[in-house]
Amino acid sequence: MRSTALAFSLILTPFCASADMVDDILDQQILPGMETLASTSTTLARAAKADCRSNSTLMRRAYDDAFDAWMMVSHFRFGPTETDNRAFALSFWPDSRGKIPKALSALVRNQDPVINTPEDFATASIAARGFYAMDYLLYNSEITGASTAEYHCNLFQAITADIANTAQLIHNDWQASYADQLRSPGDRYQTEGEVKQELYKALNTGLQVTADMRLGRPLGTFDKPRPKRAEARRSRRSQRHVALSLQALKPLAIALSVDNVALADKFHLTFAKAHKAVERLDDPIFASVADPADRFRVEALQQLVNDIRAIADTELGPSLGVDPGFNSLDGD
Amino acid sequence: MKTLLQTSTALTLFAASTTAAFAADKAAVLTNYSNIAEAKYQDSLTTAKILQSAVEALVASPSAETLDAARTAWIDARVPYQQSEVFRFGNAIVDDWEGKVNAWPLDEGLIDYVDAAYGGPSDENALAALNVVANPTFELSGKTIDASDITPALLEGSLHEADGIEANVATGYHAIEFLLWGQDLNGTDHGAGARAFTDYAAGADCTNGNCDRRGAYLKAATDLLVSDLEWMAAQWATDGDARTALLGDEDAGISAMLTGMGSLSYGEQAGERMRLGLMLNDPEEEHDCFSDNTHNSHYYDGKGVQNVYLGEYTRVNGDVVSGASLSDLVMAVNNDLDAEMRGKLSATMDALGAMKAAADGGFSYDQMLEQGNAEGEALIMGGINGLVDQTQSIERVVTALKLEGIEFEGSDSLDNPSAVFQ
Repeated sequence: MRSTALAFSLILTPFCASADMVDDILDQQILPGMETLASTSTTLARAAKADCRSNSTLMRRAYDDAFDAWMMVSHFRFGPTETDNRAFALSFWPDSRGKIPKALSALVRNQDPVINTPEDFATASIAARGFYAMDYLLYNSEITGASTAEYHCNLFQAITADIANTAQLIHNDWQASYADQLRSPGDRYQTEGEVKQELYKALNTGLQVTADMRLGRPLGTFDKPRPKRAEARRSRRSQRHVALSLQALKPLAIALSVDNVALADKFHLTFAKAHKAVERLDDPIFASVADPADRFRVEALQQLVNDIRAIADTELGPSLGVDPGFNSLDGD
Repeated sequence: MKTLLQTSTALTLFAASTTAAFAADKAAVLTNYSNIAEAKYQDSLTTAKILQSAVEALVASPSAETLDAARTAWIDARVPYQQSEVFRFGNAIVDDWEGKVNAWPLDEGLIDYVDAAYGGPSDENALAALNVVANPTFELSGKTIDASDITPALLEGSLHEADGIEANVATGYHAIEFLLWGQDLNGTDHGAGARAFTDYAAGADCTNGNCDRRGAYLKAATDLLVSDLEWMAAQWATDGDARTALLGDEDAGISAMLTGMGSLSYGEQAGERMRLGLMLNDPEEEHDCFSDNTHNSHYYDGKGVQNVYLGEYTRVNGDVVSGASLSDLVMAVNNDLDAEMRGKLSATMDALGAMKAAADGGFSYDQMLEQGNAEGEALIMGGINGLVDQTQSIERVVTALKLEGIEFEGSDSLDNPSAVFQ
């Protein structure tokens, strides 16, 4: 499907390349990705309804599927994901000040009734909501042990129903209006250039999160590695997230290079290298960062992701004719 | 000062009469920006010196009055400093230095006693409850530190960011704030930290122990703040490094101005400082959490962004520094975009102003953060939405001015092109 679309858009390049570029990214990546996020999240909520024990295979599998789906679209942090802070509610990470265990423990300790209705739970701290709270709750004996079975069960159902609701709202907004805003600039985006800049920023932000946070945070420094900072390490998803993010970002980089064959080739090559490196790693939670003899593998992977970033910065921006713009990672 | 004021008024009139010719003069825009930076750091220094005197008075003769005067001086000192934050991102010399004076958030247990609910050392920070005030010697990364004498050198050299942890904030405004107010234990209820002046009292009147060491810490931190601000004000003087670097490459300089505006508006203020605290319903995420001065910090941060675009700053003494501005540059290429940018900056200030007015009226920022507090959420979200919205226009300004040949730089990969294809 993708190769057909790509070939088709190449044929039309001289006439309306960028319009096809945006359509391709919407139709091949964003819209199906958001649909999968919504459907897998609904399945997760149903699984929690059917079996809400923390060791439930059904719920754990559904959690993995829905979290995978989020990883495939989590770099599209604009428009529908930002309305009502939805992406924050799905994914509060990194949690550098340990807010997730504090928030979950407080709910459990107080048997807080805020979990009783979806409306109330939507006002709860984002530290107690979304996929990263699930990571903690599914695989952390301290919190699961302190909870009464009934409250614990209700908490799983509240979190998963909230995830499903949020994912559905994002999907609905993309379908109902936001895709059209990208296809026909004039309102939120005044020009096609602004649409391209938004998509370019999504690629850059995704690469930055993977290099600096998913890999950089656990790496820490040689003298002070921080393996406990690995993303979603309780459900052993840290390495998987790097692989999924590369898998999600590659087609975006290629699609944005549709008018520049040489650049697209460079992305094919560098993404393939990074992907091979992450596949070979066999270190699900980046425990090796604490081993002076072994951490170079994770460092090398980070370098490969930074190589891709460099190409995006120095070549893709100018090729698209857009500036880097600002993203949520600017600042401290 | 009057001379500068008259000069800038004359420049403004000149600009109005010959907009196009004047607007093209990037050097004039950069000079005015540097003048504003210099004035803001000078004002920060002046107000910090007033704080220094007030702290000396508090430590010399602790009383409710001297403590109150020191707190007032601290709040006044934040007004010019927060307006200077827009110079951080984009000016490496400021960003490299900023952590010494405004690092946040902090694990305050490093410095002094804390409530039992604070907990002890954490996974992230083994020194979270070190309590230097109570401990004349302690172990740090395997070395014994002699802290019998609490000096600026000890705070700056051994304690600040100890163990490589950013939350070990030993210096700057927020360390001083903690020593003046103490922990705010009111959660999302109204009320700031309630440290008693007797925490600085001599002999038997001393509460919570080690009052002499606490006083020494407060004085050392305040002295350090003054010397750090002195240094930064000098960097923006006529031959200062910050000014010279900026004027050395005009296009890069204009880019630095816009980078500061956009990065502070979006990632830093709208994201890290405002939205996260709101979404976590967590008063510990307040920027000025001990003093409950967060509403002013946010307001004056926003004001700083607006200052840079309009090229105008009202000093603490009421004088105005103004001159050629980004607005002039944009007006020359796209009048509508200039109007859009000015309108959005003004809308943000209205929203932040409404939040500030509510807080000044008794609805404090930590109350606004309370779970389910719709009115508070609306006030904070108003500011966030304004900041996010104005960032879109800043991006448009970047694009519009690029037509005039501005090149952007600053990413790691551009600084290190050899990283590509190794």
